[in-house]
Amino acid sequence: MGSRKDIKQRIANVSSVEQIIKAMDMVASTKLVKARAQLNGVRPIYHELKRVVDELSSRMDAHSHVFFKEREVKNSLYIILTSDRGLSGSYNTNILEKSFEHMQGKNEKIFVVGAKGNEYFKKRNKNIIRTIVGVADAQVYYFSESIAKWLTDFYLSGEAKEVFIAYTHFENVLSHTPIIEKLLPVATRTMDNTDLSDKKYEPSIDVFINHVVPLYLHMNIFRAFSESDTSEQAIRMVNMNAAGKNANEIIDELTRIYNRKRQAAITQELSEIVGSANILNKGGLK
Amino acid sequence: MAEQKTNKQNDKKITLNITTPRGVKFTEKADMIIMRCIDGDLGVLSGHEPVSAVLGDGILRIKNNGIEKKLAVFGGIAEIDKRTVNIFSTIAQPPEEIDLERAEADLREAQATITEKAEEKHVQGLHVLIHRSMVRIQVSMHPGEIEYFDEDNEDEHKKDKADES
Repeated sequence: MGSRKDIKQRIANVSSVEQIIKAMDMVASTKLVKARAQLNGVRPIYHELKRVVDELSSRMDAHSHVFFKEREVKNSLYIILTSDRGLSGSYNTNILEKSFEHMQGKNEKIFVVGAKGNEYFKKRNKNIIRTIVGVADAQVYYFSESIAKWLTDFYLSGEAKEVFIAYTHFENVLSHTPIIEKLLPVATRTMDNTDLSDKKYEPSIDVFINHVVPLYLHMNIFRAFSESDTSEQAIRMVNMNAAGKNANEIIDELTRIYNRKRQAAITQELSEIVGSANILNKGGLK
Repeated sequence: MAEQKTNKQNDKKITLNITTPRGVKFTEKADMIIMRCIDGDLGVLSGHEPVSAVLGDGILRIKNNGIEKKLAVFGGIAEIDKRTVNIFSTIAQPPEEIDLERAEADLREAQATITEKAEEKHVQGLHVLIHRSMVRIQVSMHPGEIEYFDEDNEDEHKKDKADES
């Protein structure tokens, strides 16, 4: 261990880092509150639309529609939501590894959101067709609308035969799970109960599907964004909290060492003084 | 249509739920709901057959106890059942949420640019904007709740009012 001056310097360093950590913690927790409010707003409409689309998918007359029809899979589009910034623990690694595993053996096209995801897939030489970095929080809604439109066109033009979205589902502050969900084609179900099929659609079922599915995609993408964003802020907050605790521990430890050294120096000085005084009292060195 | 069949059960009300990306925004009981679908208006009374409809840009009118409320609803879908109407839309604004000045400014701007530019895609967007601002203006012109004349309910209506006062 270095001199007292060195230790003092280290304590100063660690405390300045601690200040930054505390600031990031505060930022993450305010952002978390906002993100959570947005997420809680979008979840109901998403679930309702999902129910409507599920209902449609159990109808035989909807199965022939392009959004529901299973096609021969030649290539798959992945929309992967990651963060632009680090210091969010295992958030990016979890979702990236899961999607990397998922796309094994598929002819993948990747649409990646966030700088971290872009880096990851570039390193692994994957086929990235579009990257978006630095979406402002306030723009997410319109942004997901434009993605939904782009996605619909992309899908209809046949460039991708199936579409997956990878996001991090937010359960609570401490638990989040990476999820890969199939967006298109919408899974069809064959159901035996016929009481659903007497339901009518205005003006016709095809027009209805043409309107509902893009709206559903928009809400789904917007929700996935909100889920990911909320998880990111929650993970960052938890991590920064832990980092703050660690910094405190280091400071405590360093202070203890510093005090011990100081005490040792004082004791040494004292014993030197006492020693010399004793010698002088005995009449000095002869 | 089904409305006529159920006219006699006017005492039964229909529940309207409007869900937007900001959460469940609006829940209300009503006698009659008139919504703008992509191919025209659709009026719904309690006891309607189950129908799902695509909504257009327009005014949603809610009639209840002789009072009419208006909302601007742009796009989305409506799910109609016997007792409930669920509307899922990206934009649903009551008059108090509409910024009248902004709507008027939007309208002027769009009308000015539509004559200059001729790009088809752009013009389409401008038409939508014009229509939406007009709807917004119309809705916010009636900020209060307007009483409407209801033949069937007139006496009842008067009684209600008397009770209130």
